[in-house]
Amino acid sequence: MLLYILKRVLSAISVVIVTLVASFALFFLAPTDPAGVICGPRCTPERVADIEASLSLDQPPLVQIGQYMKGIVVGRDYEAGGTTQHCEAPCLGYSYTLGQPVTKLLAAALPVTVSIVIGGAVVYLIVGVLAGTIAAQVRGTTLDKGVVGTTLFVQSIPYFVVALLVALYATFLPDSGYHPFFDNPLTWASGLLAAWLCVGLTNAAAYTRYSRASMIETLGQDFVRTATSKGISRRRVVYRHGLRAGLTPVVTIFGIDLAFQLTGAIFTESIFGLPGLGQLTLRAFGQYDLPVLLGGVLVGSVVLVVMNLVVDIAYTFLDPRVRLG
Amino acid sequence: MEPLIEEAELSRTPASTDPMTAAAGDHEKKVTTRRKSPTQIALARLRKDKVAVICASIFIFFVLIAIFAPLLAKLEGQSPTEYHQDLIDQYGYPTIAPNSEHWFGVEPRLGRDLFARFVYGARPSLIVAGSVTIITTVIGVVVGLLAGFVGGWLDRIISWVIDFVLSLPYLLFAIAVPAVLLSVFVGTSEDVAADDVASARFYSLIIVLSFFGWASLARLIRGEVLSLREREFVSAAKVLGVPTHKILFKELLPNLVAPIVISVSMALPTYIVTEAGLTYLGVGLTEPTPSWGLTIAAAQNFYRVDPLYLWIPVAAITILVLALSLLGDSIRDAFDPRTRR
Repeated sequence: MLLYILKRVLSAISVVIVTLVASFALFFLAPTDPAGVICGPRCTPERVADIEASLSLDQPPLVQIGQYMKGIVVGRDYEAGGTTQHCEAPCLGYSYTLGQPVTKLLAAALPVTVSIVIGGAVVYLIVGVLAGTIAAQVRGTTLDKGVVGTTLFVQSIPYFVVALLVALYATFLPDSGYHPFFDNPLTWASGLLAAWLCVGLTNAAAYTRYSRASMIETLGQDFVRTATSKGISRRRVVYRHGLRAGLTPVVTIFGIDLAFQLTGAIFTESIFGLPGLGQLTLRAFGQYDLPVLLGGVLVGSVVLVVMNLVVDIAYTFLDPRVRLG
Repeated sequence: MEPLIEEAELSRTPASTDPMTAAAGDHEKKVTTRRKSPTQIALARLRKDKVAVICASIFIFFVLIAIFAPLLAKLEGQSPTEYHQDLIDQYGYPTIAPNSEHWFGVEPRLGRDLFARFVYGARPSLIVAGSVTIITTVIGVVVGLLAGFVGGWLDRIISWVIDFVLSLPYLLFAIAVPAVLLSVFVGTSEDVAADDVASARFYSLIIVLSFFGWASLARLIRGEVLSLREREFVSAAKVLGVPTHKILFKELLPNLVAPIVISVSMALPTYIVTEAGLTYLGVGLTEPTPSWGLTIAAAQNFYRVDPLYLWIPVAAITILVLALSLLGDSIRDAFDPRTRR
């Protein structure tokens, strides 16, 4: 058991390190001319050389990667025009165009993305599990077929089209925008409502199908028959006994989904104008802001790897068969 | 268990007229139908599935639009890149409604013909999605076959790479990597021709989507091969001295037709959506390529005054993807009897 967890942790760390080195190589060794981007259109060769020296772009690639890694672990100093600027411990460099530390930009963007994803998850879990459970109970009827047909339809429509149409036409919803939760929870919720509904209702289709399939299997099992024959009410059998067993596979899928949504809320963010991780990366793309791009990609990778690790380890507690594997 | 052959197909098989075999009766019928390969059975099921037939027709309709785009535009007498500033008022709004000259009207601001841009816009969608699907399928199948069949250290390395690719935040990379590829292809200077940038964007989109797409199929194929390679027919082929590449492609591959076909049918609509979505965000294809994603991005600012501008590409992409997804669902049901509703 402990050995299994250790193995998973080690492989997760190896993935993160390879991602870091590979993306660094990809971003900084390609002929992207970062000094030119910082300097702007009217630029002298001396100024370019100065900037390159301050970012250590004139060093050999291995030294550059080493410095970047060192910056993440212990922090790093940047010398520019005689003054030294210290960048604190998890240092991912400075944005070329905004002049701010990348970590600060990421720290501002992450709460937005997390708010969108969590709120959306609440909507799709409630709607999806309820609809799936109801459909499983009336399996084969018109209602069930209607639910299955609707989920198939909703899943097949491109998400960004749905989000765009909601953003343009659903004007009865409160205006979208991000207001920090701790300033005022009410404006926070109303600004995110449209995004939550969009993420929630489109993803609910998948969860309806998962929980329907899972509940059909569970409701056919012996313990459900036993519970029914003991005279427990139908509602209690389904929602107490059945749902508990039937939800285990759904929870596993949910863990993995959540990680992907944290790194893939780009469409929601960009359409509803919410300044999250995806928007940050998108803006950096337009301006060749490599440190921000790299930082966004790294944070995304770490989130994904850690979430997968958590799901895997949680699963070993839920399902003893996994430990043998 | 599902019966292997459907009753309707059994009854359709004409009774044998040969007096020698007629005596065998029912038994003979079964023998003739059992000669159908699983793929033929699945195709027969698909032909009877009304939804599948309708969706396939819609898909073919869009493919025909893409192929005959120049012809259709010529029929209308317009080109997708020609400006019609005379049809635009001083605020940038078109002064004409759709008419016999401009079937879907003209774009606000630039005044390009919308019908021509619509028919040409079908092309990049289908070409990008089609080539990514082909590339990922070929790589996924070959890599999966090798990992599953050869095993050992090769399998361990490939499995690690598959896990690695699947654990990358794919959308973030899809935004970040084209920025780098673009600088490799055309450089970052401002004076690059728009056509060069457009074609560099086109290829980098295909590269990025292919890089992230092959891994899940490879994992699936590897798993299938792991169980298939223990079967008797593979041992028999080995004993007979059949060379490895022949075992892989002549013995194993035919048994993998179902998962491959299912994966292709699911991948195609996904890549169409991804292409349109990334293009909409401004990180996919770019002007002057006519693309539905680009039109949607431009049209969202005019949705009140010129709804047709927005709704044509929105409807096109939705109908195409909906049809392909439903077709994919039918194909999966036809090839994999366990999932039938």
